[in-house]
Amino acid sequence: MSQSAAQSGSALTAEVKAVIGATAEKIEASLPWGIEREGLRLFTQAIMDPDPRYWDDEFAKTTKFGHIITPPIYCTYLGRRARPGADDPITRAFAENPNSDGIGGVRTAESRGGLPSIPTHLKRILNAGNEIELRQYPRLGDRVYSQAKYADIRERVAKDGARMLIVTTEIIYTNQNGEVLCILRASQIRR
Amino acid sequence: MTTAQELREKQQLYFDDVAVGQQLPPLVIGPLTPTHLFRWSAAIENWHRIHYDQSFAIYHEGLPNILGQGSWKQSILPRYLKDLCLPDGWPWKVSFQHRAMIVPGDTLTVWSTVTRKYEAEGLGFVDLDVGMRLQYDTETCPGKATIVLPIRNGRAIPYPFVPPKELVSQ
Repeated sequence: MSQSAAQSGSALTAEVKAVIGATAEKIEASLPWGIEREGLRLFTQAIMDPDPRYWDDEFAKTTKFGHIITPPIYCTYLGRRARPGADDPITRAFAENPNSDGIGGVRTAESRGGLPSIPTHLKRILNAGNEIELRQYPRLGDRVYSQAKYADIRERVAKDGARMLIVTTEIIYTNQNGEVLCILRASQIRR
Repeated sequence: MTTAQELREKQQLYFDDVAVGQQLPPLVIGPLTPTHLFRWSAAIENWHRIHYDQSFAIYHEGLPNILGQGSWKQSILPRYLKDLCLPDGWPWKVSFQHRAMIVPGDTLTVWSTVTRKYEAEGLGFVDLDVGMRLQYDTETCPGKATIVLPIRNGRAIPYPFVPPKELVSQ
């Protein structure tokens, strides 16, 4: 579709509207052994948070939580971990493309829990912001599950008249008991 | 930076004690080094080379240097709000946008200002403007947050946290 044609009609077509509410398969984001101390240590040290609630069992027992806690946002990174036993994704990515950027060819090693593509001619994607809602701190040993859906798709008109879509994806992270840990809402501009 | 001992001994900030317009204590992090960035990439297995491979970042991608990760910034904000709320408050939600790039050498000041306070179901809600300001005052991650603080002689904040129904659609 030409740019002028794109500008003349709504980008929020019936086909696009049809994917609003589309929900992906619920998958286990954590590795089979759940949340463990070493991953938690690496994560909290990388955000430079020395909070003893993450590592001191005796102190953690005295807190309102009563146990070691995990930053809820930690859940949102569990799914990108390479699973043991899989082909080494880094070696494969660079074998296929010596100039790999380290993200495209590496991170697509295993695609699970994905949403359908949005049927639009708007291909350029920009990050429009994120929201994180926290409900509960995961515990050591928790198995973490995630499920994504297209929560909303709206149309906006840019200053230059071009139509664009604001796509909001919601991912709900739950534990093995089905309790909500956190909700991530990520918005993208498609233009 | 905050120490483990400070977090152990953190005194509760009460709903009663905050006022609209008040700036809450900031958190200063930095200066960041390439090693800090690489540690984050390794911790979350983010192998995008623009975050640790300087030659690739500059000569292949045309960037000024390796870049700090947006995922790191979005993990710092909840950490900061958690610290504000300790020991018994709850950092309910935070939204933000990624703006200016961060590079090695940068120092970040995580900040918040109270914009509104209100009660719902006997709990104290505090809306904040939040962000991460670079050493030359450029804002790199502006956003908004809502935290829940105990009210003196009020009821305990439930855990796990369940937001009041009247606030869920906001």
